Amino acid sequence: MPIEDVISSKGRVRILRILTEIEELNISEIARRAGLNYATANQHLEALENAGLVRCKRFGRIRIFRFNRENSRARIIKKFIEEWETNK
Amino acid sequence: MYHHFSVFKNESKLDLNYIPTRLPHRKFQRTLLNQFFRFTVENPGEMTQRVLITGNVGTGKTVLSQHFGLDITKEAEKKEINLNYIHVNCRECRGSLFMILQRALLNFHPHFPKRGYSAEEILQILIQILDEQNAYLILAIDELETLIQIGGSDTLYKLTRVQEARLKAPQRLSLICILREPRYLNKLDSSTRSTLQRNIIRLDEYSTSQLQDILKDRVDLAFKHETVSTSTLHFIAELASSENGDARYGIELLWRAGKYADASELSEVSPECVRKAVASVYPLVQKDVVFSLSSHEKLFLLSLARCFKHSKAAYLSMGEAEQAYAVVCEEYNEKKRGHTQLWKYIKELSALGIIKTELSSFGQRGKTTYISLPRVPALDLEQELAKILSTENRRSNTHAD
Repeated sequence: MPIEDVISSKGRVRILRILTEIEELNISEIARRAGLNYATANQHLEALENAGLVRCKRFGRIRIFRFNRENSRARIIKKFIEEWETNK
Repeated sequence: MYHHFSVFKNESKLDLNYIPTRLPHRKFQRTLLNQFFRFTVENPGEMTQRVLITGNVGTGKTVLSQHFGLDITKEAEKKEINLNYIHVNCRECRGSLFMILQRALLNFHPHFPKRGYSAEEILQILIQILDEQNAYLILAIDELETLIQIGGSDTLYKLTRVQEARLKAPQRLSLICILREPRYLNKLDSSTRSTLQRNIIRLDEYSTSQLQDILKDRVDLAFKHETVSTSTLHFIAELASSENGDARYGIELLWRAGKYADASELSEVSPECVRKAVASVYPLVQKDVVFSLSSHEKLFLLSLARCFKHSKAAYLSMGEAEQAYAVVCEEYNEKKRGHTQLWKYIKELSALGIIKTELSSFGQRGKTTYISLPRVPALDLEQELAKILSTENRRSNTHAD
């Protein structure tokens, strides 16, 4: 996924910001915190998962998404968000 | 700022949740518990264990288990074994297996969704997590009575037999069940009972001299030098002994007596302070029991306390109680619960021995329940509840901020 596709979407940036802070959450909670509906949150999460920025873990019927700290791009994004948040 | 002398050096050592490093007069039981769970640090995954700890109120059941939990996890850490000890109180979980397992689960995944799955699913998820993290869990289920009463045999059966379907997989979940009365086990079916009754640790009531040793330890930790005399200590131990050897009651008395000494600006805890403390502690309705009630149970109890405070009558009808509760809900800005829910609260409070209920006599039109407050002074109960509720309010406001 090109970088402009990641940061041009408000929804994706919100999701990334939430997951860098909380580390892991289920879709409903991500959608609630990001102010998105379930389907939109799901689409964004799938895209972010394909880009390797988040990872999904399945527990029975429940899917938990977590920020992929193992991915170097994800680590850079996390640093970028943290920097942005602290120097408002 | 004016600052007067305090008899305390560290009153947190008298907190009900404090786990002391030494457990006087429980050495044998502590060793026994260690023996039962030796395999968790020697051959983890080879087997699981179920241990039952029984004994009266204040005989050290909870602290024994927690003490063991702290030690065994430390030992496992040294051997790089991912062993977890989780202590869950069934009463706080309203006897729900779902809530008990959820607490355990949240320990591994703090943001796991709180709804949307069943107790059976959560049990499977918990095992899956343990497998993935190569972790082992000792789940201590305190006040098992509530789980037995509400869930019956099935819930415990599920917990005790979860490993059976995983014959070749590592055994990961062990249980410590803590309950006051072994007779509750008779409510279980024979197979569940036999699984649980294999290893029982019975804790007898403490004698006066044993209580004195326990209290002496706490005095050394919590009070300044020479602020509690041996005779005062003995006095408290005698009082706790007369309450069925309840060490928790003795520790609470000790703390309160210290508070009265501080309030009177005394340099020593006098027997008079202890007498004042006795009047303010209700052995039959302890602070932690009131504390563990749900917020609406507390509001309901507060409304009863207020009614009794102003009333000369010994009994209150259900209708009067409902009206008083509605007023209290309005005051605390809470949506009042319905009649059926209140009825459940009455049952719960009555089971805890805080209130007593009676059905109206025959010959009267209709049928109503009469409520009385047999042991606790209404004024004291009101103050205690108001204090707890205002702390909770403050806490929730802070969280909201």
